[in-house]
Amino acid sequence: MHISFLLHNGYGIGGTIRTTFNLAETLAEHHDVEIVSVFRHRDLPVLGTPAGVTLRHLVDMRKTSATFDGDAPEHARPARIFPRGDGRHRQYSRLTDARIGAHLKSLRADVVVGTRPGLNVQITRQARRGPARVGQEHLTLDSHSYRLRREIAHRYPLLDAVTTVTEADARAYRTRLKLPGVRIDAVPNSVPAPLIPAADSTGKWVIAAGRLTDVKRYDLLVQAFAKVVAARPDWRLRIYGSGDTSGNERGALRALINELGLYNHVFLMGSAHPIEPEWTKGSIAAVTSRLESFGMTIVEAMRSGLPVVSTDCPHGPGEIIADGVDGRLVPVGDVDAIGDALLSLIADDELRRRMGQSARENAARFDPARIAERHEALFTELLARGGPGGSRSPLRDAVHRTRSTVLDGVYGIRYRAAAVLRKGKSS
Amino acid sequence: MTTDTSGSTGTTAPPRVHCTAAADGSLSFALPDTRATALVLKHRRTGDRLRLELAPDAVLGAETALAEGRWDVLADCGDDGERSVESGIRDLRTLVDRLPEPASAAVAVRIPYPAKDGTLAIRSWLRAPHAEAGAIGFAPYAMTVEGRLYGTGLGPGAVVEARLRGTPGVVHREPATGGSGAFAFTLPYAPLAADGITKQAIWDLWLLPSGEGEGEGEGEGEGEGEGTAAVRIARILDDIADRRGIYVYPAGPADTGGRATAVPYYTVGNDLSVRLDPAAG
Repeated sequence: MHISFLLHNGYGIGGTIRTTFNLAETLAEHHDVEIVSVFRHRDLPVLGTPAGVTLRHLVDMRKTSATFDGDAPEHARPARIFPRGDGRHRQYSRLTDARIGAHLKSLRADVVVGTRPGLNVQITRQARRGPARVGQEHLTLDSHSYRLRREIAHRYPLLDAVTTVTEADARAYRTRLKLPGVRIDAVPNSVPAPLIPAADSTGKWVIAAGRLTDVKRYDLLVQAFAKVVAARPDWRLRIYGSGDTSGNERGALRALINELGLYNHVFLMGSAHPIEPEWTKGSIAAVTSRLESFGMTIVEAMRSGLPVVSTDCPHGPGEIIADGVDGRLVPVGDVDAIGDALLSLIADDELRRRMGQSARENAARFDPARIAERHEALFTELLARGGPGGSRSPLRDAVHRTRSTVLDGVYGIRYRAAAVLRKGKSS
Repeated sequence: MTTDTSGSTGTTAPPRVHCTAAADGSLSFALPDTRATALVLKHRRTGDRLRLELAPDAVLGAETALAEGRWDVLADCGDDGERSVESGIRDLRTLVDRLPEPASAAVAVRIPYPAKDGTLAIRSWLRAPHAEAGAIGFAPYAMTVEGRLYGTGLGPGAVVEARLRGTPGVVHREPATGGSGAFAFTLPYAPLAADGITKQAIWDLWLLPSGEGEGEGEGEGEGEGEGTAAVRIARILDDIADRRGIYVYPAGPADTGGRATAVPYYTVGNDLSVRLDPAAG
């Protein structure tokens, strides 16, 4: 099968890039796989070219390159095909509209896979009839702007399938959007097996890793750790990560650590690449977020043999952790519950060892080979459904175009009403 | 319009090296997918070199002394010459919370770390004797330090000595206490700010295990028969090559007058110092 991924920028670093590369490399063991990167700003991809995969670009943003596209007049004009609701709209242009369009119109693949909402929408508008169309969602429906949700509602009926990274998000797409005939599947992100031995449950460190942003609520973890230290001063906490464009909590966390007198017990480690060996220095992982689209670090920690204490926040943690078996799920925002769950694992060496072992076994379901199989099964089914020569009929497309417009109106009214209610609450 | 970048991993990418620290203090280095025949460790300041053959891994044995400082790790790629290597996976779990034998005469520490440009380097310390700082606490206008002592014992007249950086001979001493293999002291800030502070001042902390009778020496062998020379207080017994920004402590007023603030901190070499700043305004 010939599978073509459409990616925003395969030369950078990020969760979507990493997970797409993992998937492409695994699929390439049995299939003809290419990744088409809309942009290219470096000579070599930061994450390395996935083995066996063809990586190419559509728009060259390397200033030093002979084929630099950044100063093309068309690139200065705002995109019309790429939807405005996608947060990356400002990076797109008439030039990207045209280049992506030319690529999609000439694409001789069995399956075309979009990897962000804007590109999924563009596939529905520009892909030639023939390839099965799959739209991947790496964020969640909740996290999209109102405008993007409307654009999605309007365009996604012309996809063959949408994949989300959690069942919870798949349910949202099934119940909150009307996408008749579009298959909606949850397929989690994959995490490769660590290259080094798993943790042995003896290290008296709790490990957390993620961006130091407000959504991660590391302030709760630091507060909970004050409770841990009061009972078990021999245990300490390492938090890996730094801020990003959406914020940096480092200063606030530092102040909190000082205020609670935890400077001998809680350490802000900065970023570590790769993070893999850092997990094995501890024997419990902690996640105190109020939101996790998936929960990649939970799976990483589990694959390294750590039981994870996590808030049961939307969307991922509850689908990854089996509470009391390979980790603990605690209510969102509950400092006492986080501290108690950590202490329960700290106090019982045998429980910690057993849950770490279970974590390692249970996280094997996220192995790239197993995850790629699920995508492969979906692609195969879509191709069988569509039959040779294309999965979509002009009639079905026309019907859905009309219907989605009608439903879009209903959806829009509901959202406007919700927005008004929210406004009333906050004022 | 498009360009292929598939296929080979490229000849420009530096070899990637994974390293593992063993419990005995040895380091082993693995270089998958390269034609390198050996690793060469090169001291960044002196240029000293140490060659480690790849067979198939390169091993820096625990018994091989590595002069204190920073060592760059290079791969000997035969006709292609020596190349920097990219820091890959560093499995340093055995270095975390290291507790050398209390009787150890010397403490050797080698921590592999990624340099700013992502290439692999090794930070080495060789201390004999060694004073390892542990928990740091605070009292009004003072700091307290608890630590472990290797390679010597604490005499009855043991002191901690704060030395004003850049001004030889200006020191302040406070008594140090401790049982076997341990030391502790309280350092009031006020004497460090006694002469009034107009600009930032750094005080480096040294332990004088056998007391004040030994002068200002820092080298080995000094004061033989009278006891051990001054020992720079440091924190090096784990996996952190550079603690700045990680082991951070609160600043507090240096004295009741509020003329200065004081804060203990670890230097670029993981040694313990105290910084005094004139109060703002």
